[in-house]
Amino acid sequence: MIVLKNVSKIYGKSPQVVALHNVTMEVKKGEFLAVMGPSGSGKSTLLYIIGGLLTPTKGEVLINGVSIYKLNSRERAKLRQEKIGFIFQTFELIPYLTALENVMVPLCFSKIPNSKHEEKAIKALNLVGLTNRASHKPSELSGGEQQRVSIARAIVNDPSILLADEPTGNLDQKTGAEIMHLIKRLNEEKGITVILVTHDPSKARFADKVAVLIDGQIMKIERLRNMGGKSLRDKSGNRKQLLECA
Amino acid sequence: MRVIDIARKNLSRRKWRLIFNLVGISISVAILVSTSVISHVMRAKVEEEIDKLGANIVVTPKYEVVSVSYGSIIVGESTIQENLIEKIYTIPNSANIAIVSPKLYGLAPYGNGSLLIVGILPENERMLKGWWRINGFLPESNRDQALVGSAVASSLGLSLGVALVVNGMQLTVTGILNETGSIDDFSVFIPLDVAQRMLNKPGVVSVIDVAALCKNCPVELIAQQIMDAIPEVKATPIKQAIHMRMEVTSRLSNLSLLLASTLLIVSCVFIMNTMLASIYERMREIGIFMSMGADDANIRRIFMLESLILGGIGGFLGVGLGLILSLFINPIIMNISITVEDVLYNAEWLSVIPLSIAISLLVCFIASLYPAWKASTVDPVEALRGGM
Repeated sequence: MIVLKNVSKIYGKSPQVVALHNVTMEVKKGEFLAVMGPSGSGKSTLLYIIGGLLTPTKGEVLINGVSIYKLNSRERAKLRQEKIGFIFQTFELIPYLTALENVMVPLCFSKIPNSKHEEKAIKALNLVGLTNRASHKPSELSGGEQQRVSIARAIVNDPSILLADEPTGNLDQKTGAEIMHLIKRLNEEKGITVILVTHDPSKARFADKVAVLIDGQIMKIERLRNMGGKSLRDKSGNRKQLLECA
Repeated sequence: MRVIDIARKNLSRRKWRLIFNLVGISISVAILVSTSVISHVMRAKVEEEIDKLGANIVVTPKYEVVSVSYGSIIVGESTIQENLIEKIYTIPNSANIAIVSPKLYGLAPYGNGSLLIVGILPENERMLKGWWRINGFLPESNRDQALVGSAVASSLGLSLGVALVVNGMQLTVTGILNETGSIDDFSVFIPLDVAQRMLNKPGVVSVIDVAALCKNCPVELIAQQIMDAIPEVKATPIKQAIHMRMEVTSRLSNLSLLLASTLLIVSCVFIMNTMLASIYERMREIGIFMSMGADDANIRRIFMLESLILGGIGGFLGVGLGLILSLFINPIIMNISITVEDVLYNAEWLSVIPLSIAISLLVCFIASLYPAWKASTVDPVEALRGGM
């Protein structure tokens, strides 16, 4: 479903900074991929390129067989609108809008009629368990609640792909785990393809596959058999080693 | 939720900025509105006062032989048959004719010199010259009475009731004109029929002054219609007085328009500046919108709508403020008395309201073009990372 072919991203002219180098990989429909790597390894760059926000210097990104950087910017925006949801480390909610309004924002840019916006937003808030906080501004919500709102916002358009950039980076361990369970649930129950960028092995364990990115290159992609944090600790040393190296 | 709701909510987030922007726009619009209202009302007032300004059409014989200077008008020895006067009332725009005042001019011997005799229809002339201040009374038709100009009265030592013998005819001075600063001060006004006898010009007049109310019709048209009705005469429209008044009004309104446009440009730059500043502040927000599927047109729309909301509210506030200004403050500053009735009865200015709001919207739209374009070209990834 998502295919990257020899994707490279180079910043600047002199000196050149190679953020990604010849990345080739494939993420199947409904799969949960964790991208791990130290900071500066190009994880976020990779996520933005997949999300159609950052044009690669070289290579091709195909979503459902469509080479997205051959589309013009409006067509790419439409693709994001319909197929992609973003979650960020710092939640990125609009401060002057309530939780419900924040969830409705992506609908403003879509063709979905205005009369259906609220209904869809409430449904999304319900999925993340936050209907009771709908009328609160982000400043009145806890970190975990804010991230739930941002997840509701990411899924309100019923996207098939969820791109999460360190979604638990600003949360404590317990809240972070709750958020991961929520993302996992969306992946399993709604069949949303998830690409998660993280440097935390305990969060990567929720994924089906883990890709390790170092200096802009994919070092390894490995499938994890059994998902869900704790169970993974009992798995083979090889898999542990993979997570630790990230 | 719609894009306009995002724009609206963002505006209401920064109340002071909103207020400053609104003050700028509404003051500019207010000046624009009050200027237009005042110039409309003043124009209407000037038009109403035309009859008070005296004749605006002078009818003279077509062919002049010898000219006698009478003020700015040259009157010849040729005359117009008195019976032609009636024809003036047959023109298509006769309803616009307020006063017809025929006159006969002539020099009559008096002592060693001569006096300028003006035969008039006393009541008509009085109406025509609203500024006349008379000591005593107007002469009556067919009576040997005279109204004398102030210069004549003082040089000849005339007072009310005394007899004045001109060309062998004895006239009683019934009235003395206060000084007018015109040729009237040197004239002796007597009833037209008496003048015709004295000057031996029965049944003729030298000139016919016509006052036409021409709020809705050009005075040139009336003059032409008179010439069509009476081929023997020449009708000349006098526009100086009215033009002077009109010119003062339009210069005044041009000055205020200049001021209003300057203010509008200043508020335009101010809005553009605040919007550009807010783009830098709202970088991440723009990045978030883009990541959620907003395209360049959506981003532009958010910023343009914010500006248009400002323009709309500012326009409405400005119209209200402008009406208050034109009623209460401008009359004091510009020394023009404008009453509520003046404003209400001259409803032509009503078109100013939609026009001012449209101008306000247009200015704000123009002010938003560059910032909106700038916002739509933001790199979403850079924006999300917090830079530009």
